[in-house]
Amino acid sequence: MTEQSIHLTINGIERAAKCEDRTALLDFVRHDLGLTGTHAGCEHGVCGACTVEVNGQIVRSCLMFACQANGASVKTVEGIAQAGELSDLQAAFKKHHALQCGFCTPGFLMAAEDLLQKNTSPSDSEVREGLSGNLCRCTGYVGIVEAVLEVAEQRRNAIGDTHA
Amino acid sequence: MHRPSSIREILDLLELHGEDARILAGGQTLVPMLAMRVASPAHLIDLSLTQELHQFNVTKGSLRVGAGVTQSTLEGWDLLAITQPLLKMMFPWVAHSPIRNRGTVCGSIAHADPSAEMVLALMTLGGSVTLACKKRERRVKAADFFLGALQTSRESNELIVSVEFPIQSAGTGFGFAEYGYRHGDFAVVAVAVVRNGKSWTIGFGGVDDTVKVSRIEASSLAEVNEHINKLASTIEVREDPTATSGLRRHLMRSMGARAAKQAFEFEGEYQS
Repeated sequence: MTEQSIHLTINGIERAAKCEDRTALLDFVRHDLGLTGTHAGCEHGVCGACTVEVNGQIVRSCLMFACQANGASVKTVEGIAQAGELSDLQAAFKKHHALQCGFCTPGFLMAAEDLLQKNTSPSDSEVREGLSGNLCRCTGYVGIVEAVLEVAEQRRNAIGDTHA
Repeated sequence: MHRPSSIREILDLLELHGEDARILAGGQTLVPMLAMRVASPAHLIDLSLTQELHQFNVTKGSLRVGAGVTQSTLEGWDLLAITQPLLKMMFPWVAHSPIRNRGTVCGSIAHADPSAEMVLALMTLGGSVTLACKKRERRVKAADFFLGALQTSRESNELIVSVEFPIQSAGTGFGFAEYGYRHGDFAVVAVAVVRNGKSWTIGFGGVDDTVKVSRIEASSLAEVNEHINKLASTIEVREDPTATSGLRRHLMRSMGARAAKQAFEFEGEYQS
């Protein structure tokens, strides 16, 4: 049993593909599905650049085999932008210079989105703790934290508006 | 890779492949080891499709956690704080949430890292590990399971079916303190304290090849701190690039005092 057929939903689209047992979900997503937004950083679970969502939970795609995602719903950074437009979070990253080389950004976006789903009004330290599993080696974390805090506030206000 | 759907199939595979097989639970330690070629087993036995291992329950006075239960599943259980407060305190210190989303409680126990929080909890609470092979099932006390750093008494044909964290009596106090260099890093020193009236159990993780557990009867916090002081001066403490033995002894005292105070003042809604 070295090659398996798997079915999964990726960013809302059902796909069927073959993969080797040994293939990491990360490599499968990048090479077999052609979604290169998810980045291969350390490839041993430390940096968080490969973070994707599997069945609603963020995971390291380098620490999971593709065949384990059979039947799962997977969301990658490509699933964040809406109709070709930057999402509010992506726009805020741009505005706050929350990226320099951009290598870590896909992982940060996935982790930040997960954080904002769980906690709609995080404090500065909660954002830092929530993103502590992701490493940025060039621009630092200040802009990233500012971007996430701003989006949290924007989303709270938006909800307030509809209720008003 | 094998992806069995029952414990029976897993045990058959272990009987057949034993030494050449590794159990893949959450993979948060094993997969990095594979990536770095530290481990290169011929067979991987993935537990993710074995539903009977993905359950936890309270049974016979213990919180029993199946081999497939992830750390975040247990962390998110709404009754954890009143059932096993020590675990509730520890989970935020176990790596990061994306790791806990796949990492399992039993996987951490199986790996037997002496600085791991789950190992510290199992040792301090006096828990056990249930192992099964094709012929028999046995339950091993935590103290007899962990033999050394990354070494356990699991035989190569055995599966860790579950681990059991004994539920303490009502009124028990719990404390936990940890020192690491960054959030989510391995603990340099971690301390867990369980206080039941005048009986105190103090566990130290990260100080040696196995978790060190010490029990004393004490009627004041000062007595407990004195005991911790003595332990910190006398027990075997490792020295490695992350910390000198002197720093570890210092951390045993400071983290120990913090955890003891927390256990002394513990006011949870804890119920047995």
